[in-house]
Amino acid sequence: MLVIDEYLAVRVLVGARPEELPDVEALVLTAYRHYRLLQRIHQPGTGQLSRLLADSDQQAIRRPHPEILQILDPRPLLDEAAAIGARYSAAGLLVGETIAAGLTYGHQLWFGTQRNVGTRLAQIADDLRIAIHVADPG
Amino acid sequence: MGAMTIGEELLEERRRRLRAGDPRITSEGRELLLRMTTGDLMEDFQAALDADLAADPALGGHDIDEDA
Repeated sequence: MLVIDEYLAVRVLVGARPEELPDVEALVLTAYRHYRLLQRIHQPGTGQLSRLLADSDQQAIRRPHPEILQILDPRPLLDEAAAIGARYSAAGLLVGETIAAGLTYGHQLWFGTQRNVGTRLAQIADDLRIAIHVADPG
Repeated sequence: MGAMTIGEELLEERRRRLRAGDPRITSEGRELLLRMTTGDLMEDFQAALDADLAADPALGGHDIDEDA
């Protein structure tokens, strides 16, 4: 099981999986990262994807097929996420859950761009010996 | 090279399906989503993701020092 970010989740859904992503059985996106993607569909604004994407495209993002992309149940990770938030100066749900997922699933996290890693997440991951991999489109 | 077993064939089919992505994605949607995640719309996409964190302290977190 490999924990990936929003960028890689979208690339996997559209069939543009980066070559460097290991060939594993399951690719997973944390619930709050899925929530961030869903906000791009539901929030009004100039970048609102629901105006730009067909219903079938939206459905693929809203309810991913588990064979292609799984959404992690956040409940088993919440205690660890809260502990991380408390230890590392209120890291927030997104970072806490991502780090908890990295600790639980293989001590590695995969991102589609360095910018989406974030300074705080990178520092905590380094402290907890979680490897950060970036499959940048270059 | 020997013939593939049934299991190997099934696994190879599955691998092909995974690499093809979700069949519900349209070609127009694919093009837009690729621009967002690998192309000229990456900056806009990242700005929107960052804005979500800034707008929601529970999601994005904050420094405890700020509470003082």
